[in-house]
Amino acid sequence: MNPITPIVHGLKITLSHLFMKPVTLQYPDERPKVAERFRGLHALKVSHNNAKCVACYLCPTVCPAKCITVEAGEDANHNKYAAKYEIDMLRCIFCGYCVEACPVDAIKMTGEFELANYSRDNFIYTKERLLEK
Amino acid sequence: MVNLTIDDKQVTAPKNATIYDAAKLNGIKIPILCHDSKLKPFGACRMCLVEVEQMKGRQIPACTTPITEGMIIRTATPDIIKARKMVLELLLLNHPIDCPVCDKAGDCDLQNLTYEYEVNANRFADAKFNHVIDYNNPLIERDMNRCVLCGKCARICDEIVSFGALTFMDRGIETKIACEFEAPLNCEFCGSCVSVCPVGSLLARPFKFKARFWALTNQKTVCSYCGTGCNLTLGVKDNKVLTTVYDENQGFHKGQLCCRGRFGYQFINSERRLTTPLVRKNGTLVETTWDEAIEVIAAKMKTAGASTAALATPRITNEELILFKELMETVGSNNYDHSAGYAHAALTKGFVQSLGVAASPASILDVQKTDLLLVIKTDTYETHPVVGFEINMAVKNKEVKLNILSDKRGKLSKLPNAKTLIHVPGTEIAVINALAKVIVDEKLADGTAASVPGFAELEKALAAFTPDAVAAQCGLTAADIKQLATDYAKAEKALILFPVGLPYPGHNEDLASALANLAILTGKLGKEGCGVLCMAEKNNSQGAVDMGFYSTAGMDAGKIIDGCASGSVKTLFIAGENPVVSYPDHTKIAAALDKVDFLVVADLFMTETAAMADVVLPACSFAEKEGTFTSVDRRVQHIKPAIRKIGQCRSDFEIFGALITKLGGKPSATPAKTFEAISSSVAGYAGMSYASLGETGAYAAVSVKPSFVVPKTMSLASESGKLALVTGSALYHSGTMSQYGEGPMYVCPEGYVELSRNDASKMKIAENDLVIVTSSKGSIKLKAKISMRMPQGVLFAPYHFSETSINRICSGAPVTWVSLSK
Ligand code: SF4
Ligand code: SF4
Ligand code: SF4
Ligand code: SF4
Ligand code: SF4
Ligand code: FES
Repeated sequence: MNPITPIVHGLKITLSHLFMKPVTLQYPDERPKVAERFRGLHALKVSHNNAKCVACYLCPTVCPAKCITVEAGEDANHNKYAAKYEIDMLRCIFCGYCVEACPVDAIKMTGEFELANYSRDNFIYTKERLLEK
Repeated sequence: MVNLTIDDKQVTAPKNATIYDAAKLNGIKIPILCHDSKLKPFGACRMCLVEVEQMKGRQIPACTTPITEGMIIRTATPDIIKARKMVLELLLLNHPIDCPVCDKAGDCDLQNLTYEYEVNANRFADAKFNHVIDYNNPLIERDMNRCVLCGKCARICDEIVSFGALTFMDRGIETKIACEFEAPLNCEFCGSCVSVCPVGSLLARPFKFKARFWALTNQKTVCSYCGTGCNLTLGVKDNKVLTTVYDENQGFHKGQLCCRGRFGYQFINSERRLTTPLVRKNGTLVETTWDEAIEVIAAKMKTAGASTAALATPRITNEELILFKELMETVGSNNYDHSAGYAHAALTKGFVQSLGVAASPASILDVQKTDLLLVIKTDTYETHPVVGFEINMAVKNKEVKLNILSDKRGKLSKLPNAKTLIHVPGTEIAVINALAKVIVDEKLADGTAASVPGFAELEKALAAFTPDAVAAQCGLTAADIKQLATDYAKAEKALILFPVGLPYPGHNEDLASALANLAILTGKLGKEGCGVLCMAEKNNSQGAVDMGFYSTAGMDAGKIIDGCASGSVKTLFIAGENPVVSYPDHTKIAAALDKVDFLVVADLFMTETAAMADVVLPACSFAEKEGTFTSVDRRVQHIKPAIRKIGQCRSDFEIFGALITKLGGKPSATPAKTFEAISSSVAGYAGMSYASLGETGAYAAVSVKPSFVVPKTMSLASESGKLALVTGSALYHSGTMSQYGEGPMYVCPEGYVELSRNDASKMKIAENDLVIVTSSKGSIKLKAKISMRMPQGVLFAPYHFSETSINRICSGAPVTWVSLSK
C-alpha cells in the first residue's frame, strides 16, 4: 500500500471532527443536564411541613458504606421521627440502596453533584441540610 | 419413650411430650405464635397446624396435642402451608402493619412468619383496630392494635408472676387484652409480658426507638442486683447498654427477670457515673490522675499498717474480693468485712455452727421439687423476686404446700392455699423453737436426730418453748404452731427459705441455727427438695462469704465503724459499699466516717459515702469487667465485659492490683489467674475454671456436718403506745444501687412507710400523707402507704433511699419502736 494513504485517511478523520459539534462542556460556564435517575446528593422528602422519614433505621442498616446515622425520637403524640439524620458524604458511594430500602418513600437522590467543599465537617449533611427545599 | 414418625423421619420423644415438643427435640421446626415452653399449652393461634395420618389427615395444633405411639405426622404438606397462610392473612386483617415505626420489627414473630410464608397480599379486607394505646406508665407501652391475642402475656402474668394484671376482655372480633375495668396497667412491672409478646403490642418504653434489635450486640452475663443470680443478656450498641434482651433458654429461670433486672440496667451508662479519680484538696474533691491517687492511698495505707480497715460491697466479683484481702494482708491488717457484719452472720456463724459450712444445703431448683415450703417472712418475694416466681410455679403447678411465717402478709400469702402465720415482729426465733419443741415432743423427729451432737442440750433448752407459752407472746395460737410443726415434719420433702441482708438485722445466726435445727430434727437435709436456703441479699453475697471476706481475726464491720470514731482505725478503704445510707444508725456511721483520718471510696457514683472521702476512685460496673459471682445456692457464674470501660474507670481488680504493686507486692495479673487460685483453695470450687463454667456456671458442692445449736431469742421489750417498725426490701429495689436504675426509680422513687388500715384510720392518716416517724434515734418524714397486709401496730419501711433513709431512725435492732405523727 502507498505509505501516504493511511496518513491522508487519518487527517480526513481529524478534519471531519473539526467541523462537528463539540462534546466537551465548558463547565462551569455551561452546565450539564443530568438524567432523571441520576444518583446525586440525597434529599429528605417533606410532607405536611414535616420530614416523611419515620426513623425506621432501614437505610442505615442497608447502607454498605455505613455513612447514615439515624436517631429516632418520640414526639408529643408518641410518634416516631428522626431526631437526628445525618449522612457522611465523604463515605457515601451513591449506590442508592437507601432510597430502595425506604418503606415510606422518604428519601430520594437529587441531581445535585457539586459536592466539593473546603472543610471535612461540611461533608456531614445534617437533617436540616438534607430536607427537600 | 414413644416412637413416632414426623415428616417420614423415625423419631422418639418422652411420653408427656406434645407433637411440637417431639418435633423440636428432633430438629424439626414447626412454626408457633402462641406457644411458650414455660407456659401451659393454650392453642390460640393455629400456626402450628400439622396433619396426623391416624386422625384421618385432619389438621390439628401441634402445641396442644400429646403424642401417641406410632403417630405419623406431616408438618409441611401443601394443605398445611395453605392453612398457615390463611391464619396469617386473618391475623393481618386488622393488624396495623406499621412495622417501620414498630419497635418489634426485626424481632417480631408475626413479621418473620409473614415473610417466611410469603403472605404479600390479603384476600380479605376489614377495618383496622382502633384501640386506645396505654402510655400511662413509663415502663410498658400497651398497643392492643397490634395484638394477635395469643394470650401469652395474660398467661405468664398469671402462671409465673402470679400478679394477674392482664386478661382477655369482650368477645369475638372485639376481644382484647386488658387490665381490670380497662384501667391503665399498674402492676409489679417485671416485664415478663413484654418479653413473651410475639408482636409489638407490649413494648419496653425505656428502650423504645433507641435501636433496632439487629443493631444490638448481645452479651450474656449475670444480673448484678440480688443473690438469685439470674442470667441476663445485655443489648449493646455504641458502647452503651441499651436494653436487656429476652432469651428463653437462659438460666434455670428460662429468661424470667424481675423489674430491677429487666428495667434497672441504666446505671451502667448513667450520666452520673464517676469517670476520673478525685482527691480532696483544701476541703474539696478535685480531679486527679490515677498515679497520684494510687500514690496517696498507698502511702496512707502503709503508714496506717495494721490500723487500716476495709469494707467491701458483696456486689464485686470473687476475684476482686480475693485481691482486696491480699491488699489488706500486704499492709498487715486483717480488718475487713462486708454487709455491716451482721447481714452474713446467718451463714458465717449460724450455718457454720449448725451445719459446719457457711453455705446453704439446698438450691433454688429444690423449690419446685419439694412438697412443702416453709418461708420465713413474705419479704422472700421482695428480696429475690425470681425465686418468688419459682415459689409461684411450685404452688400453682406442682401443688407444693406453702407455709409462711411472717410479721406481715405479702404477695406470697395470696397464693392458692398459702397459710400465713402472722407473729409479733421479732418473735420468729421463739416460734421456730416452739416448732422444734412440738416436733420433739410429738415424736415427729427423724430417727437419726437423737444421735446428732447437741441434741440433749437442745431438748433441754426447748423446755421453755411450749406452744402455749410461745403462742401467748407471739400472737399465734398454740394450735397453729402445732399444725405447722406437724405439717413440716410429716411432709416427705420440705424446704425452708429465708432472706438475709442489711434490712433484716433479726435474721442472724440464731435464726439460721433455729431453722437448721428444724431440718436436722426431721432429717430434711441433704435430699432433693429438702434443706434450708439462706437467701443472701446481693448478687455476690454468697461469694463474699466463700472468699472469706469477713472478719475472722480482725475487726468486724461494727468494730471498724467504732474504730473510725475512736481513732483506732486510721485509714478506711470502702469498695462499693454505701454505709452512710445502708447501714443502721446513720448518725453514728456519718460521725465515724467524718472522724476517720483517711477515707478512700471506690464506687460507680458519688454516693453519700463517697462524698465524705479523701480519695474517690471511679470503679467499673459489672458490665465492664470479667470475674465470677456466686448466687445464694452457690452457683458460680462467669461474667464477661459487655462494653469498654467508661471514662477513666478501672475495675476494682485493677485498683487493688495497682495498690498491691505500689506497696511492693505481686498481685495476680488477671481475674482468670485469681480464679485458678480460688478453685484450688476454696472448698467446693475445686476443678472450676472459666472454661468449665461456660455460660451456665457450676454449683459449688456443699457438704454438711449437722449439729444442734441452741439459738438465743431476742428480748423484745415492747414500748407501750408505740408502733413496731420493721425494715425490708421494696420489690423494685436492691441495696442502694437500684437508685441509679431508671426502671426501679420510675416505679418506686422514694421511701415510704406502710401501715395498716386500722392504724391509719385511728390516726386519720390518708394515703400519701406525709407523716413523721419518730424513734429514740431521731425522726424522719415519709409518705404513708396504707395497705391491707400490715397487722395493726406494725409499720414497714424499705431502706434503699438516700434522701429518706430509714436508717436515720433505726439502730440495727430487729424492731424499732416508733411513734407516728402528722
Ligand atoms: S429508610 Fe426511610 S424512613 Fe427509614 S430511616 Fe431511612 S429515610 Fe427514614
Ligand atoms: S407487630 Fe410485627 S408485624 Fe406488626 S407492626 Fe410490629 S413488627 Fe410489624
Ligand atoms: S409486667 Fe409483670 S406483673 Fe405487670 S402485667 Fe406484665 S407480667 Fe404482669
Ligand atoms: S399483648 Fe402480646 S402477648 Fe398479649 S395476647 Fe396480645 S400478642 Fe399476645
Ligand atoms: S434482681 Fe435478682 S431476681 Fe431480679 S433479675 Fe436480678 S438476680 Fe434475678
Ligand atoms: S402455637 Fe399452637 S396454636 Fe398457637
